[in-house]
Amino acid sequence: MAKRVKSPELRQVGEFIWEIGKTGGMRVPGRVYADERLVRDIRKDNGTLQVANVAYLPGIVGYSLAMPDIHWGYGFPIGGVAATDPDEDGVISPGGVGYDINCGVRLIGSTVPREDVVDRVPELVNAMFRDVPSGVGSSGAIGKLSAKDVEAVMRDGAAWAVEHGYGNATDLEHTEESGRLATADPAAVGKRAVERGRDQLGTLGSGNHFLEIGFVDEIYDAEAATAFGLAQGTMTLMVHSGSRGLGYQVCDDSLDAMQRAVEKYGIGLPDRQLACAPLRSPEGERYLAGMACAANYAWANRQILMTLARRAVVKVLGSTEPALGLRLVYDVCHNIAKMERHTVAGRERTVCVHRKGATRAFPGRHVDVPSRYRAVGQPVLIPGDMGTESFVCAGTDRAMAETFGSSCHGAGRVMSRSRAKKEARGRDIRAELAERGVCVAATGKGTLAEEMPMAYKDVASVVDVVDRAGLATKVARMRPLGVVKG
Amino acid sequence: MTDRPEYTEIEHTADVGFTLRAPDLRAAFERTAAAAFDVMCDLDRVAPDASFDVRVEARPGDLEQLMVRWLSELLYLSSSEQVLLCGFDVVELGSDGSHAGVARSPDQSGASLVLVARVRGERFDDGRHHLKTELKAPTYHELVVERDGETWSVRIIFDT
Repeated sequence: MAKRVKSPELRQVGEFIWEIGKTGGMRVPGRVYADERLVRDIRKDNGTLQVANVAYLPGIVGYSLAMPDIHWGYGFPIGGVAATDPDEDGVISPGGVGYDINCGVRLIGSTVPREDVVDRVPELVNAMFRDVPSGVGSSGAIGKLSAKDVEAVMRDGAAWAVEHGYGNATDLEHTEESGRLATADPAAVGKRAVERGRDQLGTLGSGNHFLEIGFVDEIYDAEAATAFGLAQGTMTLMVHSGSRGLGYQVCDDSLDAMQRAVEKYGIGLPDRQLACAPLRSPEGERYLAGMACAANYAWANRQILMTLARRAVVKVLGSTEPALGLRLVYDVCHNIAKMERHTVAGRERTVCVHRKGATRAFPGRHVDVPSRYRAVGQPVLIPGDMGTESFVCAGTDRAMAETFGSSCHGAGRVMSRSRAKKEARGRDIRAELAERGVCVAATGKGTLAEEMPMAYKDVASVVDVVDRAGLATKVARMRPLGVVKG
Repeated sequence: MTDRPEYTEIEHTADVGFTLRAPDLRAAFERTAAAAFDVMCDLDRVAPDASFDVRVEARPGDLEQLMVRWLSELLYLSSSEQVLLCGFDVVELGSDGSHAGVARSPDQSGASLVLVARVRGERFDDGRHHLKTELKAPTYHELVVERDGETWSVRIIFDT
């Protein structure tokens, strides 16, 4: 198996752009968006080697990209973006999406002032902890589905949830892809994945998944914040979750087929986890159709989780959703591959954009951006680490031009889970967060330690880079009041 | 109850990984499974009440694929049956048709690798089982399953 290879050199070519020159089998150069301070961290782990490895993918166009929250994943780095052109034998690589297909986040705004909730946060957190299944091995709030139901969820995505009484059509308008990729085909999903999907719909999951109650702490762009429905000092809700066991199984099931495809199509790769197939091949098409199913399941999941969280809030505050002004601002994916129109080398073409731990950041004029946001840009949601700030930004033309309309997704880890647990030994993370005014409910003791703030990069510095590099402009900052973690 | 297995966690920013050693190939597969489940929940809290039979196959000579399929199968079993597994007995490990009960180097001649095992565990109990980390899937990233002198060495990273 591959021994550790030296990480390639990063050469600064722009104020926030660092390039990895083409060497060996790289088909395009690599580009990392970062500032000098982040580059020091980036040089410490093997993320840049992975950026270089991704550049081997057949049909890759432009650059193998990485966002400032880049860290070591498997195959693709987390924070990686790569586009492949089907007309150039471009491939689809499941590692460029990840196991948690359509892990993503949604933000709900309100008209509730922080003062009205700050003393009730423990009640709110406990209500959400009770009403929203979280943690490992937990079953869904909506009971065990039949295989046929799971197929319907995979086909219809968030719309399935709305049809079953979770939220409304306006929510769908404010979700990436309206919460449904039409290319989904349940026939492309194996029995095991369906089986795993039967009792996990409406569960949060563990690790870095969470529900968060916070408030808008600072506004950077008043016009955009107003368009997004975010007012200074108002309560917000955030949901971070993905496709659960169904998604992991779809990814797992695809990897064997992809490894066979690599041999069949004679694709040379420096890393087995980059296993891929041509977009225009039965294997490639099957993965995309299955991936879309898992993505749809994740959107249905977040639609349900949001509804359960909203209901818990309404119950505790003794009010109604309209009175509280609870409204979905937007929902974005962090792990996905999509066929999109982009201009590459002066020519418009349809390419497959892989975003693994990266967020779409389209400019307002793009047809896929809700009309309400046409003047300001697509909301780009960037959650920070547990207990610290999160940001909302707006997509830009520059992102469209430079990064296939992509931006960062979050803070990115700097410390392994095992080291975080060691650092946390003897410390009461829950109490430390309480001292900072954050109330936490979590099922697993381990998960709190692993997710402690020190384990992550500083999200503010990551967001500063994307803002100053012009990929996504800062609109507002939120601070947490309470967190529910799996 | 079960004894906790021995393994060393790897420093990896995004995921969970570990290395371990075993006296033979069969034990390497057993100990890797035990370590994986211990990462999820301390094995000394899990009783070997129920048992399940597992069979996985891999391409000729591809021990890495066999390891990934073995662990994927166990994670699937755990998820679909809502059980935590604590005991792992590899009954057969070799090339299809050879029924090699004792570990030896895999046959490179073209016969698939086969692993048959009986695994034990119990239904997940919220009150007794403190779940630490959810493992999504085993990965091929820097995966090592190799003979190292007199022993076998495993290195594996899981997506979490």
